[in-house]
Amino acid sequence: MATRAPEMATGVPALAPERAVTWPKRTRARLSNGLEVVLAEAHSIPKFHGELFFRAGEALVSDRSVGLAEMTSTVLRTGTAKRTSRQIEEDLRRLGADLGTSAGQDTSAISFAGLSEFAEPLLQLVNELAREASFPPPELERERRQKLEEVKLERTSPGFLAGERLRKILFGKHPYARVSPSEQQVAAYRREDLEQVYREIYTPENALLLMVGDFDPQAMLSLAEKTFGNWTGKKPAPKEAPALPEFHGRRVYLVHNPGSVQTQILLGCHAITRKHPDWIRLGLTNSLYGGAFNSRLVMNIREDKGYTYSPRSGVSPLRQHGYFTVSAAVRNEVVAASLTESFYELDKLRSVPVPPAELADAQNYVTGMFSMGLATQEGLLSQFATVELNELPADYLETYRDKVRALTSTDLLATARKYFDSANMPIVVVGDRAQIEEQARLFGDTEIYNAQGERVE
Amino acid sequence: MTRLQIPIHSSTLKNGLRVVIVPDTNAPVVTVGVYYKIGFRLEPQGRSGFAHLFEHMMFQGSENAPKMQHIKLINSSGGVLNGSTMYDVTNYYEAVPSNALERVLWLEADRMRALKVDEENLTNQRDVVKEEVRVNVMNQPYGGFPWLDMPPVAFRNWANAHNFYGDFADLDAASLADVRKFFRTYYVPNNAVLLILGDVNPQNGQVLAEKYFGSIPAGAAPPFADPTEPPQTEERRGCVQEKFGTLPAMAIGYVLPPRRTPDWYAIVLLDQALHGGRAGRIHRELVLEKQIAVEADGGVDDVFGYNGPSQLTTRILHKPEYTAEQTLAAFDEVLREVKEKGISEEELQQLKVKWRSDYYSTLEGGRGGYMPRYGLMHLLACFTLFDNEPQLVNTVLEGFLAVKREEIQAVAKKYLRPENRAIVFRTPVSKDAKEAA
Repeated sequence: MATRAPEMATGVPALAPERAVTWPKRTRARLSNGLEVVLAEAHSIPKFHGELFFRAGEALVSDRSVGLAEMTSTVLRTGTAKRTSRQIEEDLRRLGADLGTSAGQDTSAISFAGLSEFAEPLLQLVNELAREASFPPPELERERRQKLEEVKLERTSPGFLAGERLRKILFGKHPYARVSPSEQQVAAYRREDLEQVYREIYTPENALLLMVGDFDPQAMLSLAEKTFGNWTGKKPAPKEAPALPEFHGRRVYLVHNPGSVQTQILLGCHAITRKHPDWIRLGLTNSLYGGAFNSRLVMNIREDKGYTYSPRSGVSPLRQHGYFTVSAAVRNEVVAASLTESFYELDKLRSVPVPPAELADAQNYVTGMFSMGLATQEGLLSQFATVELNELPADYLETYRDKVRALTSTDLLATARKYFDSANMPIVVVGDRAQIEEQARLFGDTEIYNAQGERVE
Repeated sequence: MTRLQIPIHSSTLKNGLRVVIVPDTNAPVVTVGVYYKIGFRLEPQGRSGFAHLFEHMMFQGSENAPKMQHIKLINSSGGVLNGSTMYDVTNYYEAVPSNALERVLWLEADRMRALKVDEENLTNQRDVVKEEVRVNVMNQPYGGFPWLDMPPVAFRNWANAHNFYGDFADLDAASLADVRKFFRTYYVPNNAVLLILGDVNPQNGQVLAEKYFGSIPAGAAPPFADPTEPPQTEERRGCVQEKFGTLPAMAIGYVLPPRRTPDWYAIVLLDQALHGGRAGRIHRELVLEKQIAVEADGGVDDVFGYNGPSQLTTRILHKPEYTAEQTLAAFDEVLREVKEKGISEEELQQLKVKWRSDYYSTLEGGRGGYMPRYGLMHLLACFTLFDNEPQLVNTVLEGFLAVKREEIQAVAKKYLRPENRAIVFRTPVSKDAKEAA
């Protein structure tokens, strides 16, 4: 037995009957130019939150250069045909607004939040950024120099180094393997490359405008039409992506981080996207394994053994593929012990059906957490975005809880067997080689890398 | 201008426990918090890091809910829980579907009434805390910078100046007897506030608070060490080595006036002018215009959450081709401009709009999508424990909106002086980084 059996609590009040969970009604519309709009009211505070999503990001363009979509999103907030960088920032402050631009593998976005009383000027600014960004050369040069420092700096973070290595192993030649640019790549970005990405990705046919907050949906819809209605542009052509490499057996990837006083462990394997029919059952199985404070992994290597502060597992759903990870930062002496326990808990879920009481607890956790986002505009926005961007069924939010509750121990056993492929997992450890190599080698053939990502052995 | 009005029901139980209830039935979710008026500032000398270690022990078992049961009972009710140790308060909080309210109150009352921990729990959590310190500080680039580096340079009173995460020797020395004594001294109902926010009927909430907490005996009023600082007469400087990061860094901290004084309102608004994101003067000048720094941010940390000396702090990571003195000179130039010219009426109006907007967001959320009303809880707790006035949540905004241009310039001159500041340089030892200063 890996952990002590916990004593039970006595005299705990029962749960009261549950109040119905009701998601706010969504108003869906398509503007005259094809731009998709989804709106929902939430009157918690006199503000609103919005996001203008574009359904493409790094993965579409990283074969040109890694980080190009991200750099495009960074520079696009620094100037438009009508406003300078400084004006943009001061106008945002004048409206009490926050704005962010970002690009992930599959999505680029302009996200914003502000006072409802200033909705019109804020949308006008978002519109300008989406359509009339001017990519001023001096701003690009500055952002380039910033990025050069950032790419150097991120190589000192154990979490970054572990994630980068795992993504390379799991995704091979697929764009998802490209996590961050090299200094040479950043130095070579050209303004016309950014403008090209901007023209391809930032189009109304490729966009989704999502807003949640203190407004009247019909009035907001008219405002959206007035602001964005005459914008035109086509979807970018989709791109064939290479197949993923297969991974057999266990193999260790040790990233040497000299002077490390702790070791970052990261295991993983391929999994599924959110659209996959197994998503909900994999989510529940993950929550039992290491996705909650009360999970087996946390109880074992933190609460029972004190090896680590923050162990966790999760499923990362990118649009084309998903992957499962287990991570923990542990003290150097217990790297092997932590790996053993992590695999033990995976294998236990693959071998022994989850007891009914533990299953019910996990079902309650997952369904309760799902409704927690109801209380804030940001929480609602994030749930609606998940549904829309992954093209999930319209009743996904409304039926999710029932689907979780319908799962059985047999379902979970099958899910763990299918997805927690513990016999075929890369094991990434980031730490001081001299202190951990012997322990790491116990788990398989070992490749050694330096912090620059180069294989040294 | 739409103003947000929060309906606040507050009372005090016979044992001295303050109770604050805010109903909002929009979503079937309730946030519960218990705040104790003791943080790491006033933890016992020779026991640095103890307040935080103790916070961990509060999850290790109480009279009727043994180890692991707190976490299990909250998670299995569909909720989340956590705790955090701050300068002057320690909090324990849960966000759960509202049908679990009674269970949460029972759990919080059980551990306020009687902690039940043993040597094994203490050893386990001491190990966990050490890994927490390693992952957040010792094994991270710029770990603990500047929140752990600044206090020993800026302050002279041990209360304000010690290592709040704890020296490992002090953590090792902490005993079960210390845990029991700390609990008896500070974790008494008359040193705490209970908050119930969200899907709760106020009368029902009051009845439940009385039912579960009413019979916990009051304790003696806890003794608090004096955190007053001796007057500062010259600039203070210190140096810390950066083991991993490649860029030289510095933090500059100015001691703030006492909370809720007119000067304090003005300097907190001035903070928005200096550090308000990309529009803030410091980021604009150092990162966007002069391009000396890669990061330049900061501000007043947890504006309402301190009940003793605190600072307005700027954190800068600068390019190695600039020396520390050149960087500092550029920073000083930003402050000189405010001191000499003040700010325009236009800028002041922008600051006030942004402050109001940010304040609403703080009240609504404040700690990610899964922790609704964290900010509201935190402010209500601090206003109750420090000011005995939870209604300040609805009125404190007026203090900021009333600030005048002259006052901004006056506090800039009065407080942003070298004799009122401390500077910490965090200098890379890595051979890649060029020498900074």
